[in-house]
Amino acid sequence: MKIDTLIRHIREAYRGIRKNSWMSFAAIGAVAVTLFIFGIFLIFTFNINFLTKELDKQVAIRVTLKDGLSADEEEKLTETIQKDPLVKTAEFVPKEKGLKDLKEQWGNNNKFLDALQDEDNPLPDMILVQPKDPNKTKELADELAKNTTQIEHVDYGEGVTDRLLRLSSVMRNIVLFFSLGLALLASFLISNTIKLTIIARRREIEIMRLVGASNWFIRWPFFFEGAFIGIIGSIVPIILLITFYFLFYDIVNDGEAYGLFKIMPVDQLSIRIAISTMLIGIAIGSLGSMISVRRFLKI
Amino acid sequence: MHDVWKVYPNGVEALRGIDLKIEQGEFVYIVGPSGSGKSTLIKLMYREEVPTHGVVLINGVNVKRVRDWKIPHVRRKIGVVFQDYKLLPNLTAYENVAFAMEAVEAPRRKIKQRVEEVLELVGLTDRMHALPSQLSGGEQQRVSIARAIVNNPTFVIADEPTGNLDPENSWDIMYLLEEINNRGTTVVMATHNKEIVNTMRQRVIAIEQGVIVRDELGGEYGYED
Repeated sequence: MKIDTLIRHIREAYRGIRKNSWMSFAAIGAVAVTLFIFGIFLIFTFNINFLTKELDKQVAIRVTLKDGLSADEEEKLTETIQKDPLVKTAEFVPKEKGLKDLKEQWGNNNKFLDALQDEDNPLPDMILVQPKDPNKTKELADELAKNTTQIEHVDYGEGVTDRLLRLSSVMRNIVLFFSLGLALLASFLISNTIKLTIIARRREIEIMRLVGASNWFIRWPFFFEGAFIGIIGSIVPIILLITFYFLFYDIVNDGEAYGLFKIMPVDQLSIRIAISTMLIGIAIGSLGSMISVRRFLKI
Repeated sequence: MHDVWKVYPNGVEALRGIDLKIEQGEFVYIVGPSGSGKSTLIKLMYREEVPTHGVVLINGVNVKRVRDWKIPHVRRKIGVVFQDYKLLPNLTAYENVAFAMEAVEAPRRKIKQRVEEVLELVGLTDRMHALPSQLSGGEQQRVSIARAIVNNPTFVIADEPTGNLDPENSWDIMYLLEEINNRGTTVVMATHNKEIVNTMRQRVIAIEQGVIVRDELGGEYGYED
């Protein structure tokens, strides 16, 4: 397509929106609502993926050792575990380090912890094991637990990860279902808006056809009109979504010190949300307009 | 055209076996009473309608076989003029003519040059920035002729171009079409204007009830209005 033609199409699209400003406004509103809900779905999905990755990284098996093992035995055991083909890393954590970590996690002003000195450290020695494949965590833990002579017990985040993922995928499907319904509704509204511009420009289209304009030449302005409606309709939801996420992030972040939950940082999420929301807006808009042009473009 | 039939979905047999050949550079009148099939014949020529049966060749191309997306390219070789001009009311005379070139994506510099050239040919150079509503019927029809020929078509189809004009303006339009024909463009004109047909003698094709009843060079109109 030539630049001149492109400019012409964009100008025509702008004229179309201006001429039917009320219908355009309604269509933009419909797109905005749809995209807002779609955006919530996206934030959800992005975070699920993010969280899954984070959790995968964190999955670790805590092997609590029996009291009274010698330093030599402890070292040997760590080496043996390290050699297991399912194990990525095995790190020996002596009880002194365990206490130090605990104190760091719970803050420095915890009087109860401060009272605990190295001599009366109640913590056992541990080995932290990272599995190669997070899905085989249980298998590995069961295997390690067999060594009952040296190992007191084996812990891992049993079921927590699983349950979280299952719950979120159900919620994800529900939101997706609603979003798709809304997207259809928005496309329908856009196709009605565009139909008005098409009727207003019927004569023009007739003449274009008579002088031999290609079908795409006739379609482009409507395509752009739909795309513009999509872009304009995406601005408000993008701003709202990012603002809400920013506030939400602050709230969740307060609890982050406990290491339970980690959500995607605002900057990373904002870019993704902005780009994907706008693209979906353009897709809904142009789809809607193509639907209505089809009917008017008899050959 | 060979053995062309056109039956509309409502069962009307508009054309019933038309055999017709128009040579490059000819000037042809198509006459006949209302409802005789004239308009259908014209529509077949610019591929607005497709024959139900038979073959229509335009510049050697069988229009029925042309793929949908190529139809615009067939139409570019055809200029069409209508009784009601079909100009865009919010564009000036110049813009209306330029529109036809923009639609086929001609380069801008070429558009300006060619549009001015064509407007000069139809004698509207000094009126080219007027809107259709500011122009007389004759002037509007001249704009539409300018638009029809701006893309250098091989033939021009005029569907009752003088239907809405007074005799004086009608003659202006006819001289213009004659001039275009003299430059080598085929002109096919459907008309009810007896005076024009009888004065400016050309090939006359008369249609009645979907069949050609007369086809003679330099013929007369042959109907009483």
